[in-house]
Amino acid sequence: MKFAYYPGCYLHGSAVEYDMSTRAVCRKLGIELIELDDWNCCGAVEARDSLSIPLSARNLALAEKEGLDIVAPCSVCFHKLSKANKMVKEDEKFRKKINETIDGQYQGRVGVRHLLDIIVNDVGLERISKGVKAPLEGVNAVPYYGCLIVRPSEIAKFDDPEDPQSLDDLIKATGAECLPYSHKVSCCGGGLLANKEDFALEMAKKIIDGAKEGGSNCIVVTCPLCHTMLDFQQSNIESRYGITIDLPALYFTQLLGLALGLGVKELGLDKNMVAPMKLLESICIE
Amino acid sequence: MTEAIRLTDTDPRFVDEIKEAGGENILMCYQCGTCTSSCPVREIDERYDPLKIMRMAVLGMKKEVLSSDIIWLCSRCYACHEHCPQGVGITEVLHAITNIAEREGKEGNIKIKSLKPRLDGVFNDLIRKYGRLFEIKFFVHLVLLSKGATGLLSSAPDGFVMFRKGKLRLLPQKIKGMKQIGRIFKIVEANKK
Repeated sequence: MKFAYYPGCYLHGSAVEYDMSTRAVCRKLGIELIELDDWNCCGAVEARDSLSIPLSARNLALAEKEGLDIVAPCSVCFHKLSKANKMVKEDEKFRKKINETIDGQYQGRVGVRHLLDIIVNDVGLERISKGVKAPLEGVNAVPYYGCLIVRPSEIAKFDDPEDPQSLDDLIKATGAECLPYSHKVSCCGGGLLANKEDFALEMAKKIIDGAKEGGSNCIVVTCPLCHTMLDFQQSNIESRYGITIDLPALYFTQLLGLALGLGVKELGLDKNMVAPMKLLESICIE
Repeated sequence: MTEAIRLTDTDPRFVDEIKEAGGENILMCYQCGTCTSSCPVREIDERYDPLKIMRMAVLGMKKEVLSSDIIWLCSRCYACHEHCPQGVGITEVLHAITNIAEREGKEGNIKIKSLKPRLDGVFNDLIRKYGRLFEIKFFVHLVLLSKGATGLLSSAPDGFVMFRKGKLRLLPQKIKGMKQIGRIFKIVEANKK
């Protein structure tokens, strides 16, 4: 199993723990990641389609040269690359135009996958369960998918847009409790953080409230933008609403890594802003 | 009090402009309101009503739509898009509308109060310069634009913690293929005009 790894800008910076845990977990599961040489930003939520499609297409062309499918752990990158891919694959005239723009020769032969899809569907839950060294008893997790990993479903494709199951299944495979959660596919507000902070924080607070109401001690995420809202902005939500939250938000790779017996440092768990130390103690990891 | 909409004051070409700017399916909307009931922003602020924006746009109320602050509040979560029974592609229609607003703003026809286009501009400029996002520079600009110098000062402790945890690069990563990136920006901008 070999993929062109597209970390995206955040995993090279503020989401470095997602990069670390992705690499560590993939090594453990026998997924070979070759970082896409000279990749560029996909355009994220900021660039308009007119710009983000050619930007994304340049990355697709680079992967095609390597003869590899792309794996993206960031849901925003996954969405942007998949959208560009769909558009150039389905319309030859458009593909020509984009190739002209990027001065490239992309033929549409690359697949774009989210890391969660590969771990759950290619590696498979059976192999993961067998690899679990330390079942995470004591972790009561809620599965938070967010938006772009499941929507729009004609682009995201790999799971149900209303009630997805892949992350639920993965959490169960680690031995942790996966709690019922009505905010699975709600929006974290990340796209509004800079423009309308009060709205963004209210949206993130609803996701956290839902997790706490269900008695969760950990929220599991699949995207660095969601993680920003639920982890980095958590202290901001606490001070704005005068409440204490103290709910760790872990990347699914960090949770899986713990179950596979990987170390706290290796998984970047010391880099989360909301320290998950109480959670780790509850599963006897120091 | 509700005022009458005078069709003589509307612009019947607005729908075509939206179609051209990426909102091809706007006329598929039959006003069922599923978008509005799906919208997480609407849950917070009733003024944000995708259904109403659709209707106003179809009626050609260009000035009212484009000069409204509301159009910039879409969080791009695609909930309305997913639920729409008509395949209107509401997220794309709203995007098309903000594209037009931005263009009209640049031409001086309307005044945009929302920070969103300026924030996106800062992001794009960094990609133009390096090919990848230089996060720290983006964060600083973002906070300065939205909260001013005092905001920047109060974010400093968080920035320090991130730096200590190794989550902030102090230098940009410039890619090798900058010639290609420059070409992409040049062509995209020429097409906008």
